[in-house]
Amino acid sequence: MSKLENKIKVMPKAVVCEDSTIKGDVTICSGSVIHPSAQIIAESGPIIIGENCIIEEYAKIIHRIPPDHKLAQEKNHVLVIGANNLFEVGSTVEALKIGEKNIFECKSYVSSNVTISSGCVIGAGCHVVGEQHLPENTVIFGKNCQQREALDKVSGSHMLQLDFLRKVLPNYHHLRKPCDIKKAANLS
Amino acid sequence: MEYLLSKNVEYVCECGLLKPLTNLYFCRHCLNLRCFFCCHHEVDSHFCRNCLENIPSGEAKLRKNKCNTCFDCPSCTLSALSARATTIQVPMTKEVKEGGEGSEIEASSGKMVSKKMYYLACLACRFSSRDVGISDQPSQNFFWPEQEYMHAIRFNTILNHYYSVVLHDKQLKQEERRRRSTKQSKFPNMTDRTGLNVSAIRRQMGFDKSAAKPKSKPTAIAPSIAEDVDDLPEEIFTQPINLKNITTIQQRFTQPANQPESVKHLYPQHKNLSIKRSIRCRHCEHNVIKPEYNPTSIKYRIQQFASSHVPEVRIIKCDQLVPNKSALITLKITNPTMNDMIITIMDLPTEEEEKMMIEEMRKNFEKNLSVSNKSSLMRPSLIEDSRIVSCKITAKLELPDSSFVINQRDDSAEFDDDVQSDKKDPKFILWRKANKIAIQLSITPNGELKVNDDVKIGFSMNFTYSSVPSSTPEKKETQRYALCARIYINAGKIVQ
Repeated sequence: MSKLENKIKVMPKAVVCEDSTIKGDVTICSGSVIHPSAQIIAESGPIIIGENCIIEEYAKIIHRIPPDHKLAQEKNHVLVIGANNLFEVGSTVEALKIGEKNIFECKSYVSSNVTISSGCVIGAGCHVVGEQHLPENTVIFGKNCQQREALDKVSGSHMLQLDFLRKVLPNYHHLRKPCDIKKAANLS
Repeated sequence: MEYLLSKNVEYVCECGLLKPLTNLYFCRHCLNLRCFFCCHHEVDSHFCRNCLENIPSGEAKLRKNKCNTCFDCPSCTLSALSARATTIQVPMTKEVKEGGEGSEIEASSGKMVSKKMYYLACLACRFSSRDVGISDQPSQNFFWPEQEYMHAIRFNTILNHYYSVVLHDKQLKQEERRRRSTKQSKFPNMTDRTGLNVSAIRRQMGFDKSAAKPKSKPTAIAPSIAEDVDDLPEEIFTQPINLKNITTIQQRFTQPANQPESVKHLYPQHKNLSIKRSIRCRHCEHNVIKPEYNPTSIKYRIQQFASSHVPEVRIIKCDQLVPNKSALITLKITNPTMNDMIITIMDLPTEEEEKMMIEEMRKNFEKNLSVSNKSSLMRPSLIEDSRIVSCKITAKLELPDSSFVINQRDDSAEFDDDVQSDKKDPKFILWRKANKIAIQLSITPNGELKVNDDVKIGFSMNFTYSSVPSSTPEKKETQRYALCARIYINAGKIVQ
């Protein structure tokens, strides 16, 4: 495997701690918060993380297409993660398509065969494997990974927490400097 | 947990069942091991384990053993629902009620007031009371709308009917008894002849109400008639089903009255109450376990766990087991009491001896019963005969040639330096530390065992037990007893 070239773009107003592990071509949109020791690994192609996402400690987001996957032949596949997603402590997400307002609870695992729409909740410790598409507002919970559909919009946004983190994290951690958009535009 | 609750070493309870020591109780008065199955279980108090409210048993019965304020999640059936608050903007309505037209204009002018509203949510599966269409409530302790059951009325009429049937039967029986008792009276009664018995006098004075009271008759119920059931609709065979909308068996069982088929009808369920239970020895009727009444307390008022009275045996290690070949097994024995113990390891009783023991126990008990019956008001307990231990020994154990002493438990001993005792220990003792001792015994698995068969050894352990001085005057001093525990050990599997 060729060595990954790090091309990290951090948009203004995003809070990305320096102790996080970010490899490959990763774009982090404004308003997102990435905790220390979170991992974002873009092996098979770029990752774009949408606005106002929270990626907590020990969470792993991996863009790695297994060789027997149907997308394996496709070149330059981009993993686009929508806005307002919450990746809780210790969650591992390998899904190749993620919509908006999803919650990946602690220690959950989503394999690369799964595509996730919007408003889904993967419960704590739930492993979602096997080829499937999670329709909107799916809630997976319990040790048997029971599924249900939330009729109501899953509990409100995490804006309050985001505001708090944006205030507190810079006090105790070194941050990655956001890139200058104008400069980047000029260069290209 | 595996270490604490290992089932490799099991003790024989007085009733003949094999149990790990942690599951056994010790009756201080009979000086015997007791297990879950050979004790009385009594409900001490009812409480809700979510809000920890103590509920008297009468009230608990009225509430159908359910908590009034707490709810279980109907969707994941394992966690309690918690009330969550939201703020909503409502137009000022207070003035509208009070004032006339003028204030109505004010309300429509758009003055908004934020108000807190509550709904129930499950933190595990994110079920919320809004999912099933229960509107938000203005107060946290508000009585949430009760679910209505389709058959509630029918159920009540049937219940009332059977209540009245029972009442009717009781009256009939009473009447019968009254009639019979006058006839069967052995002794002539003077007042009867003179017609001056109590009931006659009462009747004369007009006090008698029993005559005036009409006999209660069972209320009639309309028998339910089987209706014609329609055939299954065609779609059920052709349409694909959405499993997310269908309830699981588990979910249906938590709502036995309704058993909803669709998740739209999963209403929050009142939480079932828990009980505090005391356990009583069947032979002497003393408590072995009695919890404190307060639901917030997890302490006991009486706790006679066997693990704090009977020496505990654990396997430290065991050699590879091959049939007909002797192997060494190392056991650790711990003395949990505050007195030194002399331990002798002996053979298990043979089957005849075991039968004799059981017979003797029964005789003893019957004798005790006839004595105690005169004084005690309690109903004599039903005692099941002890059974013969079902476990079969599959290896020969070489018994140690002498008995040995285990020191008392001393909580401060672990801070001391290791002191070598001057006493010469027999050879089979590997080491001793405070109240623990390790012994090494040799076992020979039987010849007919195959690979992966369990190797079971067993022995009787005689130990001296000093009773704790009790408050009663005749038992002020500690008394020493020689007790015996039968122990079965699963040493491991045969390898080859």
